[in-house]
Amino acid sequence: MNSVVASITYRAMLGRKRVWLLALLPVALIAIAVLLRLIGAGHESTTVTLMETFAIGAILPLLGLIAGTGVIAPEIEDGTIIHLLSKPIPRHRIMVTKFAVAASLMVVFAGVPTFLAGYLMIGTEANVAAGFALGAAIGGIAYAAVFLLVGVLTKHAVVVGIIYALVWEGAIGGYVPGARKLSIQQWARTLADQVTTSPALKPDVALSFALPAIVIVTVVAVIWAGQRLRGLSLTGDE
Amino acid sequence: MTQPTGVIHDIGYRHYDGVRLTRGYAATALALNSLRGAFGLGRTARSKIIPFLIAGTMLLPAVVSIAVMALLKEQGLPYSGYAVTMQAVLAVFLAAQSPYLVAPDLRFRVLPLYLSRPLKVIDYVGAKFVALVVALFLLLAAPLTLMYIGELLVELDTPVRTSEYLASLGGGVICAVLLAAIGLALASFTPRRGLGVAAVIAFYMFTLAASGVFFGVFESENQQTAAEWSLLGNPFFLVDAVQTNLFGTEPSNGTGYPPGIAPAAITLAVIALALSALYLRYRKAAAA
Repeated sequence: MNSVVASITYRAMLGRKRVWLLALLPVALIAIAVLLRLIGAGHESTTVTLMETFAIGAILPLLGLIAGTGVIAPEIEDGTIIHLLSKPIPRHRIMVTKFAVAASLMVVFAGVPTFLAGYLMIGTEANVAAGFALGAAIGGIAYAAVFLLVGVLTKHAVVVGIIYALVWEGAIGGYVPGARKLSIQQWARTLADQVTTSPALKPDVALSFALPAIVIVTVVAVIWAGQRLRGLSLTGDE
Repeated sequence: MTQPTGVIHDIGYRHYDGVRLTRGYAATALALNSLRGAFGLGRTARSKIIPFLIAGTMLLPAVVSIAVMALLKEQGLPYSGYAVTMQAVLAVFLAAQSPYLVAPDLRFRVLPLYLSRPLKVIDYVGAKFVALVVALFLLLAAPLTLMYIGELLVELDTPVRTSEYLASLGGGVICAVLLAAIGLALASFTPRRGLGVAAVIAFYMFTLAASGVFFGVFESENQQTAAEWSLLGNPFFLVDAVQTNLFGTEPSNGTGYPPGIAPAAITLAVIALALSALYLRYRKAAAA
């Protein structure tokens, strides 16, 4: 960890237009929760639906994409990363710092609003709010790590990320049950299921697979990204 | 005696005596170049990967459908539901390519260079918009046409679905116009390509999930009308609703849509809003 790198990254993430996207999505989640409560749909099954399709299914990958690629990809795109790389800081440490920033953003912008939305819908009933908050936080950290790696691997990081989230997890995962095993979104649902007692949530992946998978994917992604940063070649914009 | 204070020397540059092409020519050239760029033509090999991959994916169900028609002698996929079925792919194309059309010019602040020519702001915006509309329409019309040609050649016992094919093309135009307006308006607000991609896809995933949640909730509470209305939040279902009400095709959501001109009115309002936002954005960018 390097506090200077961390503070620069925080400033880049929170000081520009990016923060609007980061903030608007959780606000929309809470607004929808309030709206559903007001129209009298605030019961357990709707809460689980909202959490599954909206919080975990849409907001989480988007926030992971914005935070994960946002901490590194713009710097590579406009070449300012060279100033960071020319400092005597180990590249792995730069990467771990960037990952920590992205992970903390995910906890704040995905985990906390998910809990709030769930709490506004049904309070602490069946621990739905707490369960999905845990799922969103851990799943969000894994998303951030993976998209951080994608951001170092390719210049089209965001496009590759949305193809993963939308086509693999969304479209293919919807039809092919096997694809769900390799989906961060499904792992987050499994984690949520450990805390909540709601019968409305039926995870597709066992905890014995999801938990190791999520840890391995996160650690490998951060290490690989650090490795990649050691030999990064800067090419001009087309 | 007066001294000469300044002399302009003729250092022999040749003057341009050729035809001065018009403003329309410049706009057409820009539109054509943008259209080619949207598919990666005239750009690096790397930027061709994603548009070509997407175009291939769009054609895939059409090819499978022809195979089904030829081998099993059954009707293939319905034309009218093609855009709804392939909405994720179209959304990825929109998100990936609309920032390409607008972001680099904003980022490198070259807009004044364009505007120093006969081109006006409205021409620039119009050219980019037309390019994206045509690109999206081609993406949708190519598989539909392929499927239609396939159906003509296979000669099924059932009558050829010409009217449905034409209705789907009409829906495809509406779909392309709506998507292009939204995509360009969102993408033009940031000069960063990555953030533009994220903004466009965030809009799509947000409308997809939000309308899905409300549809599910109203459905479970047996409020059918409200459920149908909530589906209109998703741009693809909105266009499908317009297509259903306008051309009388089968609704692709399984339940039906609110009847009348309401979906069409919403569509027009969204297009007008997005295009005015886009124009205002560029008027500001051109002044800066």
